[in-house]
Amino acid sequence: MSITVTVDGSELEIAEGTTVLEAANLADAWVPTLCFDERQAPFGACRVCLVAIESTPKPLPACTTPCRDGMVIDTHDATARRVATAVVELVLSELPTAPEPHTELGRIADRLEVTGSRWPGATHELGQDFRHPYLAFQHELCISCGRCVRACDEVQGAFALTATGRGFQSNVAAGLDAGFEDSSCVSCGACADTCPTDAITEITLLDGVAAQRPPRPRERGRRKRRPLASE
Amino acid sequence: MSQNLVELIRRHHAVDAPSALEVLKQAVEDHGEVTDDDRRHAAELSGVPEAAVYGISTFYDDLLVRRGQRHVRVCTGTACFAATGDEHVREIEDTFGLKLGERSVDGSVSLVETVCLGFCHSSPAVRDGDTIDAGPDVIRRVADDRARPALEPAWRSLLATPVLTEPADWSGLRRALIELGPEALLAQVEAAKVRGRGGAGFPAGTKWKFTKAAKGDEKFIVANGDEGDPGSYIDKYLMEQTPNRLLEGLALAGFAVGARHGFVLTRSEYPLSKPALDLAIARAHADGWLGTDILGSGFDFDVTIVEGAGSYVVGEETALLACLQGLRGTVSARPPFPAERGVFNRPTVVNNVETLCNMSFIAASGADAYHALSPDSETAGSKLVCFNERFVRPTIYEVPFGISMRELCEDVAGGLKSGRAIKAIQLGGPLGGILPASKLDTAFDFDALAAEGCMVGHGSILAFDETTDMRAVATHLLRFGAHESCGKCFPCRIGLRRAYDEFASDAAVDRARFEQLLEALELGSLCAHGGGIPAPMRSLLRHFPDELGLT
Repeated sequence: MSITVTVDGSELEIAEGTTVLEAANLADAWVPTLCFDERQAPFGACRVCLVAIESTPKPLPACTTPCRDGMVIDTHDATARRVATAVVELVLSELPTAPEPHTELGRIADRLEVTGSRWPGATHELGQDFRHPYLAFQHELCISCGRCVRACDEVQGAFALTATGRGFQSNVAAGLDAGFEDSSCVSCGACADTCPTDAITEITLLDGVAAQRPPRPRERGRRKRRPLASE
Repeated sequence: MSQNLVELIRRHHAVDAPSALEVLKQAVEDHGEVTDDDRRHAAELSGVPEAAVYGISTFYDDLLVRRGQRHVRVCTGTACFAATGDEHVREIEDTFGLKLGERSVDGSVSLVETVCLGFCHSSPAVRDGDTIDAGPDVIRRVADDRARPALEPAWRSLLATPVLTEPADWSGLRRALIELGPEALLAQVEAAKVRGRGGAGFPAGTKWKFTKAAKGDEKFIVANGDEGDPGSYIDKYLMEQTPNRLLEGLALAGFAVGARHGFVLTRSEYPLSKPALDLAIARAHADGWLGTDILGSGFDFDVTIVEGAGSYVVGEETALLACLQGLRGTVSARPPFPAERGVFNRPTVVNNVETLCNMSFIAASGADAYHALSPDSETAGSKLVCFNERFVRPTIYEVPFGISMRELCEDVAGGLKSGRAIKAIQLGGPLGGILPASKLDTAFDFDALAAEGCMVGHGSILAFDETTDMRAVATHLLRFGAHESCGKCFPCRIGLRRAYDEFASDAAVDRARFEQLLEALELGSLCAHGGGIPAPMRSLLRHFPDELGLT
């Protein structure tokens, strides 16, 4: 059965069960995403795919919202775009270095015109692991989008990866956090392929010099604060 | 939540394998910490992959500690904060010469914080080993190694005929099985318009109807006993003092929607809840109220109690289901809703403990009698509210909706001790708005409180007295928010940390930037945790802007 929706003023007929993000893509409307990969089930974590839907009080995430017949979708809504931009700015604030321009995060930040972050404070600790012959971790670049974990679970079925920690300390690990080699990893590279930030990369694709390069620390204000229990 | 992991867990559960979380909890009980050997063992027993077990072991507070021979947990909930301004935390750190989260070099003592022990009527509270002590002198008693179990004040009802504060007698289930049948029971629950008592206020009958209509022979009922809201101890009383009422509510839900099994997820911060419920289940089996062919009706129902491991967000229904199955307690996007895909990917009703405790009265007395419990309100039924230690008579009261906040605070709970004045009230937990003393004539009801940016929430009424520093309140709430963020959605994961950092510093807070952050949290967050913290922050900005150190 098909239903009709309107995306940015254009009507289109789509199959029932289509998500708002899929409908927007069919209509060639650009919706930014960070945690979405079309090979995986929608996750709804990054919240940058927010769009306005007529007669709903607040923006909704396009990736996890199913289309209803007659739905009117606005991918340019100012509120939705303002929140998405604020979220990308928060993401940049957790990284010790600006995202590389070739990464998905770098491209999205560029298109949303987020050039840096006004938020001082802690960034992710350096956690580089080049022990595996083909796959490298740079944990400090992880934005907890869950794409690598889902690639390993849903695409490869190896279950070698997991999300770790919680809150700001969230990250990813292979096996019992002893690296890819001491895990059920089959070196398929699906995690590196989907990673939007180079937190997991295929070593052969890395510039050997870049892999060894120390990160560029950003200037951070020093603040007195009581640590969180999770730190 | 990974559908593959849930399917793995379902298959292992079918052959009575323990969950990974149960095995890891047992390791901490046994030798004070989780080691890699414990993780491998948990993976082997539960069938969950090693990496996933590692992820679980790094999520829950209880699994992150290295316990000493003597493990001391100090409550840092909002009632304890309102009582001492966190002075009790500094005192206990000095007593042991340890900071929160540390273990002494010789391994004799460990000190951690916990939120919240549910002794908000007697704050501050400390759990020393298995003993929960509370009161103004608690730190001295713990220092002298003579902690004693704190008493819990009796609850009271303002109703002519008390409902929720009385022992339950299974008369609702008897009537449902013998007279009503499942359709008429569901019709009564829908007509009663029971709104969820855990915070969101969603109609319980609608959840039941959706679950009943969902495809599949196997369905489940889950009671959300993860009353993590600091300042609330209502579900604690319901689970520990009248556990039969909850079991009866679960059985009624099962009968109405066609489920044969129920679960209760209890909190590890309430160590008496699971034993009280397990004992009540054993008695109910002996008396014929649980088990097979109950009262000869052909209806089978049983209940399993699962204890959590320290996480506030597990009170959100999708995170609750993840925890119940032993996974990381992170939130999942809806749809699919639990009514369609819940425990073991099967249709599941998730109701709050107090919500389910309303069902025996509705089944026994009908929807009209239920509406009559709150004669001055459109809202049906009664509500349990609880007060913090600042009040003269802090305990749980059963009250009708529509009563004024002033009557509750001044007449029922007796105002504040030592002639202190109420500066502000936080209602319904850390995600509830803050009502200044000037607004005490507001009615205690869903719509009236919403108009003031507040909510009924869990029903906690927590007073800050005139000595309270409201910037410290903001910092306290944001610290809790940042610590408890599950880490799934980006606005909450990063935004609450940034907000906490701003308020915890000595610097002035940029109001415009902070309000932009509140918008991103409120509109962008996946669940009510990140989406809810802006409510008390907006109350503070509105009513106490001069105290927040804004620029």
